[in-house]
Order: sequence, then structure tokens, then C-alpha cells
Amino acid sequence: MRKCQRHVLLGALVAVLLTTFWGVGAQQDPVPAARAGGPGARGASGPPEPAPTLADGTPNLGRLPGEKGVWSVPYITNMGERVVEADGSTAVERRMAQGRGGRGFGRGDVPLGGGEGTAGGARGGSKTEPQVPFQPWAAAVYDYNSRNHSKYDPEGYCLPPGGPRLMATPYPMEIVQLPEQKRILMIFEGATHVWREIYMDGRPHPEGDALNPTYLGHSVGRWEGDTLVVDVVGFNEQTWIDYYGHPHTDMLHVVEKYSRPNKNQLRYEATLNDPGAYTKPFTVRWTIPWNPRGELTEYICQENNKYLQSLTDDFGQPLFKKQ
Amino acid sequence: MRMKFAALAVVTGLLLGTASAIAHHSFAAEFDASQAITLTGTVTKIEWMNPHTYFYIDVKEQTGQVVNWGLEMGSPNGLMRAGWTRNTLKVGDVVSVEGSRAKDKAYIGNARVVVLAATGKRLFAASSQVDTPQQQR
Repeated sequence: MRKCQRHVLLGALVAVLLTTFWGVGAQQDPVPAARAGGPGARGASGPPEPAPTLADGTPNLGRLPGEKGVWSVPYITNMGERVVEADGSTAVERRMAQGRGGRGFGRGDVPLGGGEGTAGGARGGSKTEPQVPFQPWAAAVYDYNSRNHSKYDPEGYCLPPGGPRLMATPYPMEIVQLPEQKRILMIFEGATHVWREIYMDGRPHPEGDALNPTYLGHSVGRWEGDTLVVDVVGFNEQTWIDYYGHPHTDMLHVVEKYSRPNKNQLRYEATLNDPGAYTKPFTVRWTIPWNPRGELTEYICQENNKYLQSLTDDFGQPLFKKQ
Repeated sequence: MRMKFAALAVVTGLLLGTASAIAHHSFAAEFDASQAITLTGTVTKIEWMNPHTYFYIDVKEQTGQVVNWGLEMGSPNGLMRAGWTRNTLKVGDVVSVEGSRAKDKAYIGNARVVVLAATGKRLFAASSQVDTPQQQR
């Protein structure tokens, strides 16, 4: 019995160390390859396993049969820090390269939850983000959201995120490929427990009124080599691009690229083209770590959202609850 | 052995919890990070619910008056990844809580750390706030 307990203890300790290295739930970006000792390296256990493939040779962006695993989606609160700039890098990547980036968080990502004033100081608004090609009205909306600490963030109301924020908001997600059905499903534990369907059968987007604006939009995908390219249109205007409150319109067109350079990493890149809110397209990117021990659990955000009961408008009146 | 395992469970909670603090809404819109609170009281009610678990404690003020405080933590999925279960905290437990007070001065707060008085066990609350004002960098 004693021996058995010791094994349990040892196992638990190993599990703690592994999950600490690989990440659990929705949290940190992975340690960049340069700092971790090689592409996708984790800990000191040698080179990472190669990216798995399906029977037909297509990259497998999900689990292997008989194994667990989820993508530990990072909580990126300010996507402005993930914009690929003229020199080909993002603000977070530059900070990491200079050894000032901690564990890969963006400045706005700490503390989690965007608790400005607790660690990161005040938010600078649009004037501090020349890399984001705001139209004037979009800059004004962004500045308003900065000043009020994102109090009207739709995700705070338990509404789903749209566009790239799906890959930047708490709790893990899974990608389930169904090649025989010519579709891919993405399942999100967080992001208000939504799923997303990507049509891989070559169909075009609906046009005109047949394209009904929705939170997640209409997604069609194709493989370009080992990269999954997903084209998304048909967003409604009920979401923000990120927690910090970069706005968008229903003219938003997103092209996402997903690739798995090794088993432990998902590279994510999204080009946003919204002529309603921005003067030109811009691209954001980050890397998402694989948690080989993770599984999705339940998260029903709408259950008991007391935040709505306390939320007041700019005039101090209850936003949702009559007094 | 049991003690060792309990200690390990706490360490596990701290390690995992530190990495999985989650908020679904703006911390700064609801709470005031400069209004640090440290409360000790008896648990009267627990709402193990999404998107935030709440627990309520009776706190005796200096005047002798007993006030019921509501304290927000993370969601059950986040707390379970941090080592909690729905029975980690029970009605009747005496706890100390570190956190921040709500902006509107109601008896509401955001719990960052919960310490069980009976065992001294320090439990990370998967709060939306990870730094105290004193830890500002």
C-alpha cells in the first residue's frame, strides 16, 4: 500500500511537471524556439515529435488515436501586439528576441483578464499602435474601449468571439478533421462553448442575402501544402477583434493559416481585411501549444453571469437590470 | 504520506493555477485593484457556477456587526484545472481571503487567494487578477 501511494505521488509529480512545461488550459504562449533550445522543443527531452499525419498523408491537426490532447489557446488580450509589422516581426516577437518578453505574453496579456492598473498600467489606445491601420472612427471606438477598460466587451456578456479571437480566448480547443465528409470541425471549450464548421468540399461562400451575418462567419477551407487555409466572411458586428476592443464591421474578411511544424505546436496566422474599419489589410500571428494530457471540459458561461447585473452604462444606469 | 500528498496537491494547485487564471470579463470595470481586502470569515454559501464561482462569508467587523461578503473566483473548469473540486470549500469552513473590493463599495470582492484556517492550506482562486497592487512592476 505504501509503495502504491509512493507511485501515485511520483506519478502526480511527473504530471505536474509535464503539464507545467506543456501548459494547461488557456494560458501562456509557448516559449519561442530560440529560447527553448530548438524548434518546438519542450523541456530537456530532445527534439519534439514530428507532426502527425492522417492515413492519406494530410497533416493531422488533432489527436492521434488512443491519445489525449488539446490546443492550449493563449489568452491574447491585445492583438495589436501580434500584428506583423514592416520588418516581418510582431511586437511580442521582438520583445521575446530581446529577452524581455517573459514567457511570451504580450504586454497587454498580463494580468490575465486585462486587469489594467494591477500590473501593466494604463492603456495607450490607438496612438500607441501605429501598426494597426485604424480608420478614424475605428480609432475613436478603440480609444473609448481603452478608457473604460473594455467594460462593454461582448465576451463579458457571454457572447461568442468571432474571427481570430476564437484562437486567442480562454480555454482549450480541438480540431477534428473529417476528410471523408470533406469538412473540419473546431470545438472550443471557452469562447462560450461553441463549435465551428469549415467546409472543405470546394463550395464558394454564399452571396447576397444568402450570406447571413453570424458571430463566427462562413468558413471554407483548402490545403496549401501542409497549411490549412481558411477563408471566412459573413461576420456580424456583435464581436470585437480582441479583449482590448479593436472594432470591426460586417465587411470583415479573414484568411487564416494553420500549420503544425511539429506535434507540440500549432502556428496560427490571420490576415484581416476590413475596409469598413481599417485602411488596409493587416496580419496577426502567434503559436499555440499542444497539451498532450488535456481534454475538453464543460464551460457554460451563461449560467450565472453576475457581471451583467452590476454593469452600468456611461450614465450610471443599469445596462441589463432594472432597479 | 497523506500529509505529503495534501501538500503536493496544494503545490499542484499553485503551479497550475498560476498559469490558468482566467476572467471572462473586464476586471478593472468591476473591481478596484487599489482597494485590497483581507477578510476572515465563515463560509455561508457556495455557488459553484459559470462563468465565475462565488462564495459568501460572514465577516465580523470591528463594530461587532456581521457582514456577508460575496467573493468571485474563476469558473469551475478553471478551478478544477487548478486542483479544486466542488467540495474544496464547504459551508462552515473558516477562511481568510485576499483580493480586491468591487468599485461600487458593495460587500463584493474578487478573491485572489483563499486560505483554509483549519489547515493553513493556501488555495489559488483562479482570479481574474493575478498581481496585487504591491506587486506592480
